[in-house]
Amino acid sequence: MVSKPDPKGTPRAASRRDFLKTGLMGGAAIAAGAGAAKAGGDPLITEIQDWNRYLGEGVDAAPYGTPSEFEAHVVRRNVPWLTADPVSSINFTPLHELDGIITPNGLCFERHHGGTAIINPADHRLMINGLVDTPLVFTMEDLKRFPRENRAYFLECAANGGMEWKGAQLNGCQFTHGMIHCVVYTGVPLRYLLEEAGVKTNGKWLLAEGADASAMTRSIPMEKALDDCLVAFKMNGEALRAEQGYPLRLCVPGWEGNMWVKWLRRLEVGDQPWHQREETSKYTDLLAEGKARRHTWVMDVKSVITNPSPQAPVTHGKGPLVISGLAWSGGGTIKRVDVSIDGGRNWREARIDGPSLPKALHRFYLDINWDGSDLLLQSRAIDDQGLVQPSKDQLRAARGGNSIYHNNGIQTWHVNTDGVVENVEVS
Amino acid sequence: MLKFPKSAAIAALALAVCASPALAEGDADAGKKVFNKCKACHTVGDGAKHRVGPHLNDVFGRTAGTAEGYKYSKAMIAAGEGGLVWDDATMAEYLANPKAMIKGTKMAFAGLKEDADVANVSAYLKSFAAEPAEEPAAAEDAAVETEDAEVETAAATTEDTAEPGAAEMTFEASKGAFGLGRVATVEEITAWDIDIRPDGAGLPVGKGTVADGEPIFTDYCAVCHGDFGEGAGRWPVLAGGHDTLTKERPEKTIGSYWPYLSTVFDYVRRTMPFGDARSLSDDDVYALTAYLLYLNDVVEDEDFELSNENFTSIRLPNEENFFDDNRMSEPHYAQGVEPCMSDCKPGPVEITARAQVLDVTPEGEGDENAGGGID
Ligand code: HEC
Ligand code: HEC
Repeated sequence: MVSKPDPKGTPRAASRRDFLKTGLMGGAAIAAGAGAAKAGGDPLITEIQDWNRYLGEGVDAAPYGTPSEFEAHVVRRNVPWLTADPVSSINFTPLHELDGIITPNGLCFERHHGGTAIINPADHRLMINGLVDTPLVFTMEDLKRFPRENRAYFLECAANGGMEWKGAQLNGCQFTHGMIHCVVYTGVPLRYLLEEAGVKTNGKWLLAEGADASAMTRSIPMEKALDDCLVAFKMNGEALRAEQGYPLRLCVPGWEGNMWVKWLRRLEVGDQPWHQREETSKYTDLLAEGKARRHTWVMDVKSVITNPSPQAPVTHGKGPLVISGLAWSGGGTIKRVDVSIDGGRNWREARIDGPSLPKALHRFYLDINWDGSDLLLQSRAIDDQGLVQPSKDQLRAARGGNSIYHNNGIQTWHVNTDGVVENVEVS
Repeated sequence: MLKFPKSAAIAALALAVCASPALAEGDADAGKKVFNKCKACHTVGDGAKHRVGPHLNDVFGRTAGTAEGYKYSKAMIAAGEGGLVWDDATMAEYLANPKAMIKGTKMAFAGLKEDADVANVSAYLKSFAAEPAEEPAAAEDAAVETEDAEVETAAATTEDTAEPGAAEMTFEASKGAFGLGRVATVEEITAWDIDIRPDGAGLPVGKGTVADGEPIFTDYCAVCHGDFGEGAGRWPVLAGGHDTLTKERPEKTIGSYWPYLSTVFDYVRRTMPFGDARSLSDDDVYALTAYLLYLNDVVEDEDFELSNENFTSIRLPNEENFFDDNRMSEPHYAQGVEPCMSDCKPGPVEITARAQVLDVTPEGEGDENAGGGID
């Protein structure tokens, strides 16, 4: 962090920033910049740089490492006007700054209903009660003695894109699509814990409850609980982050994020759903005729182009352009992603790169040669059940304008001739 | 054991001193009641912690925005750096209308309307000073005694739970395949299993009337939810919204949207008041639920009493309007349709709407635009 003065007395970071700024003007600027250097070369090459001369920090300068100081802008952000207080609010993953399919732990969006509970793992307990042969209590130590699994799953808040139901509103995929992350969880299959307690034959539902100040609760059908749910204590190899439910959270793969109860402290087996606040007042889908869908658990097939996007404009002018994005489906894997550069008139199949895992994010690319004209970028995902991501108009036609959750409509970005990108809706 | 003030000795001194004659303008006893309006966000006294707002021990004489370990708004920090110190005058101005005095303060509190309330709550707050006030006092008043009693109770509970320590208790081992974990006791299950179902399963024995609920709501809920459940600022609206579900801006309240009354009881009991969960008695929750029914015109008689006996006889008006997920029947999910790849739209595509029109993307501090929602 100590910045050593360079021979001209300006901090290095500043001159690098200047260089990037010049870069914005495209190839011509780079040529000019190089021309300005007396020796006929890029001074970053022809002059010896500080980092090449002086020693850097030794090991242990940061016992727990942090991203480079040049990445300080890569952070979660919130939209203050959305909620009354940050204690019950949301922030968003900076999707436009990330690549691949895994979200770094510190960038996973947060949604709490009563703030982040701080719990010493030694004080944490998980209870199983209700329609079981033996109600049980586990410590964290007990849980770590069950056989474990590692699985990559996306977690998407059902409200992701909720602000866009009525029309294009927020300029940035961080805000329009950033209530999602994808993490490798380590945990115990929920099945093992339920079997340990012995689920009675009439035990058809499970209530999961958190230990935080909102005592979050959701009803989950037993079939799902016994299928692929995990009780996780690690994310991307390290302990869960406090804001992600440390020391213990539930994973309900492919289903809406609210069900992934954080700070998980209790699982109750019952013969009916509980109709808790988060499955009645919230997380139900009001349709045009005034009726509402409930138990809309599965997250729909969906995709978004993360680059270019409003927060990540094209700064390099025409020529080779990497169009990149994410696709996912709560139903399984993504079979195909199509990309359109003309607002959905014509489509091309994009290239999916990296692992294709069920209920995990998929990374896609379309490498084009940009002619510098206006683009209307769209992506359309198709999952392994053959479900096709709908357009926003199709969704509104089916559901009306008053829904909030489960907006998986096709997103359009307008790239203008300067490379500036805007969130738009198209005919 | 006593975290605040630093030692029990100072505590005793401070408590003895708090009935200082300097409080002549305000009555700490009456202020304690006023403080109910602050309690959801602030704590005072022994073991006070930061909640939604900073703890308010020792707040008089303190520079604004400086309680250690609390994350203030930039506005509050700037006010402190600008020299704002909490005294009678500044406190009165802030509490009368927080946002008018400090633009950008994150204290979501409408303000105290009565000067007397301001004076009284100030007197009450002064009673939580670690240092002796300037003028030593002789008398002890009721507020002091109450506080003393609370301190003792708190201490007693700490000892109680510390003594038999979970580790030393003997539990029955699990008989499952792994033999991991141990059998939960009845007391443990009762302590945590507080969920209520629409069929009334889980309801505790108890009762409360609309009239009982009104003062509790005014003291503990109205600061956020408004006197009539209309919602203060952006805090949730709890009443009204009838016949709005098909309108452009539907208002989803207990009366207009919620299908089951059990959800109200369950939710209020497990998590409200926000920031002081589980502080209500079961009878309080019955009374508040009755009052919320009244605010939503589901019951009209102030003497209406809600109890575990008659609970399931009350139905909310919108119950019939929920149905299970049928997204797969929507036309766009029709199976077997190959998506179009070329010339899918008749002519060049036009832009019909732009985000910049509504531009509400956060760029920094102070965006207060309305529109959209996350829940
Ligand atoms: C809805 C929650 C809420 C309620 C209710 C509330 N406050 Fe606050 N209060 C806050 C928050 C949050 C802050 C921090 C403000 C900031 O940083 O801008 C605060 C700050 C303060 C401060 C400044 C403290 C300091 O260290 O500078 C005082 C004094 C205060 N509140 C008094 C009160 C009193 C007295 C009441 C009741 C009459 C009350 N508040 C009700 C949330 C609340
Ligand atoms: C400090 C502010 C505050 C106070 C005081 C408060 N609430 Fe709340 N209340 C909230 C917030 C914030 C939420 C939404 C929490 C979330 O996001 O999950 C809420 C939600 C609710 C809801 C659900 C609303 C819905 O539409 O889903 C009910 C019912 C409720 N509160 C009742 C009460 C009652 C009764 C009291 C008094 C005992 C109370 N609240 C006190 C802030 C408050």
